[in-house]
Amino acid sequence: MRSGPARIRNLSGRLLVWLLIGLFALPAASGRAEKVPGELLIGIEPEHNIFDQVQRYRLLAAYLSDQLGLKVRLTIMSRYGEVLKRFQSRRLDGAFLGSFTGSMGIEEVGLLPVASPVSLKGESTSRGYIFVRRDSGISDVQEMRQKSVALVDPATMEGYLFVLSHLRRHGVQDPASFFSRITFTGSHASAIFAVLDGRAEIGAAKDTVFDKMVAADPSIGRELRVLARSIKVPEVTLCVRKELPAALREKLAAVLLRMEKTSRGKKVLRGFEALRFIKTDRTEFDKIKKMAREARLPETERTPEK
Amino acid sequence: MKAVTRYFRVVLLGAVLCCLAHEVSAQPRVGVVMTGDVPYYRAIHAAFVTGLEKQAARLGRPEIILQRPFPDSIAWSNAARKLIALDVDLIVTYGAPATRAVLEEKSKIPVVYAGVYDPENGSVVGRNLTGCGFRVPLSSFLRYFKRLRQIDSVAVVFSSLEEGAVRQYRELLTLAGRQGIRVTPVDIRRRRDVTKLRTITDGAVLLTGSALAHMWAGDILAVLEQKKIPAADVFPDDGEEGVLITLFSSPAAQGRKAAHMAARILRGEKIEDVAPEVLRETELVVNLQESSRLGVTVPVQLIVEATRVIR
Repeated sequence: MRSGPARIRNLSGRLLVWLLIGLFALPAASGRAEKVPGELLIGIEPEHNIFDQVQRYRLLAAYLSDQLGLKVRLTIMSRYGEVLKRFQSRRLDGAFLGSFTGSMGIEEVGLLPVASPVSLKGESTSRGYIFVRRDSGISDVQEMRQKSVALVDPATMEGYLFVLSHLRRHGVQDPASFFSRITFTGSHASAIFAVLDGRAEIGAAKDTVFDKMVAADPSIGRELRVLARSIKVPEVTLCVRKELPAALREKLAAVLLRMEKTSRGKKVLRGFEALRFIKTDRTEFDKIKKMAREARLPETERTPEK
Repeated sequence: MKAVTRYFRVVLLGAVLCCLAHEVSAQPRVGVVMTGDVPYYRAIHAAFVTGLEKQAARLGRPEIILQRPFPDSIAWSNAARKLIALDVDLIVTYGAPATRAVLEEKSKIPVVYAGVYDPENGSVVGRNLTGCGFRVPLSSFLRYFKRLRQIDSVAVVFSSLEEGAVRQYRELLTLAGRQGIRVTPVDIRRRRDVTKLRTITDGAVLLTGSALAHMWAGDILAVLEQKKIPAADVFPDDGEEGVLITLFSSPAAQGRKAAHMAARILRGEKIEDVAPEVLRETELVVNLQESSRLGVTVPVQLIVEATRVIR
């Protein structure tokens, strides 16, 4: 049998333990509701020249940090499609996504589209090109049979999904065995160079990258021939996870949409190589969903876990 | 009686000769002429021999008579005449000059070529001819050079004795002209022509698919390394002698294709039914050992795009 003071000590010890548990549990519980994070981690999909890309996005991140009053950090994905895995494991708050990963993210992870940049040419959309060397003798889908192809990544519309849907539309039943060799180059520019060099006979890539390369080196335009063009879809969209507090999401959208109206915002936009940001609606990704249905993607390729 | 014996002797001799002739024709004889004894044509030939051996069960083991003349027009003609005199069943040629030398002899022996640059637009034409040529986009070399450094002129090493190399030089001249890049021709007809490279001041050098230039590739690359000028090549640098960038059509693929065509003809198919082909797929090899020797930084993107990187 314990003595009186000992019982009191025991009771106060228990109270202290419960108090401590309560102190830790309370903020965690409220965090599950709408806690404003201390920082925003934004993912970006890799482009051909990652150094230039980081430079452009760093300016934007610094601007957003100032305007939102919280640190905005950037992280580059190792490849297209990885970003969705990161959202699933809750290690990303938002990401600038291409149309196909954006569409998959909205469908599979419930991402919310916020805004899209408008390029210096006044375009917020892009489309896929299927191209060959002019001296290849290839002019239609039938002549592509058993030729080699350079695609970008299975998580891109312009460099994969469009090719599949184009082949299906032209009666190709088994796209996997249609080509003699399929190479994934990892970037749009690399797919273009692969065809220019003869390392692949057919290529697919984004029109914005293709047109930029032709503008910089007109010999590329003289050597390549575009055989097919896809519909236009949002090129890049900032999407955020649905758990992000609505107030922060709205503030983020407002800052981006207001950028062109402030002198500092304009300067950052120039460095980011954009005119402005425009609001993006999830219905704009319906075209991608339709294309994916048309392409009849295998189930494994429709999920971000591939 | 004597007449009967003589008659039987004649008949017996005839029968023996017939058997011998049949024995000889059972083993096809294939004559091969290389434009030059350089690694590229040797690699084509190795793949050709292997490819033909795979057909041995259906063809018999063919006898291959290989001619490796010094790259000049008289030697090419002599090699062609030798094979025609031997009355081989088929002549296989590597490179445009050897092919032209055989065609100029106007023999009825069918000819299969390999290692011929852009045969559709060249002078290698004839009724009794088919084969497997290649094309390499020469404009890619200009793009590589521009990605390596600021250049306003390129030296092109070729040989005016070799048709394919001349056409590559002319093609590059046109392409470079469109981009405002000057071209310095370096014509290699004999070994001492290599010294011409000592005076060049161009930003980069392209070695065309010339057998003569590749016979002295080691000398050429030694001069360029001294001058710290990066070199690119239309033929692979298998010996890793010091070419920074090579973009080439696989010699093995051409050899295999030529073997397949040769086998079809030796099995009795008409040569006009064996359609010629042009291989357009290429391989890109970047030599980073050479880039560090030259003090040239190869862009990461170019390294990523390479089929093979020598580190």
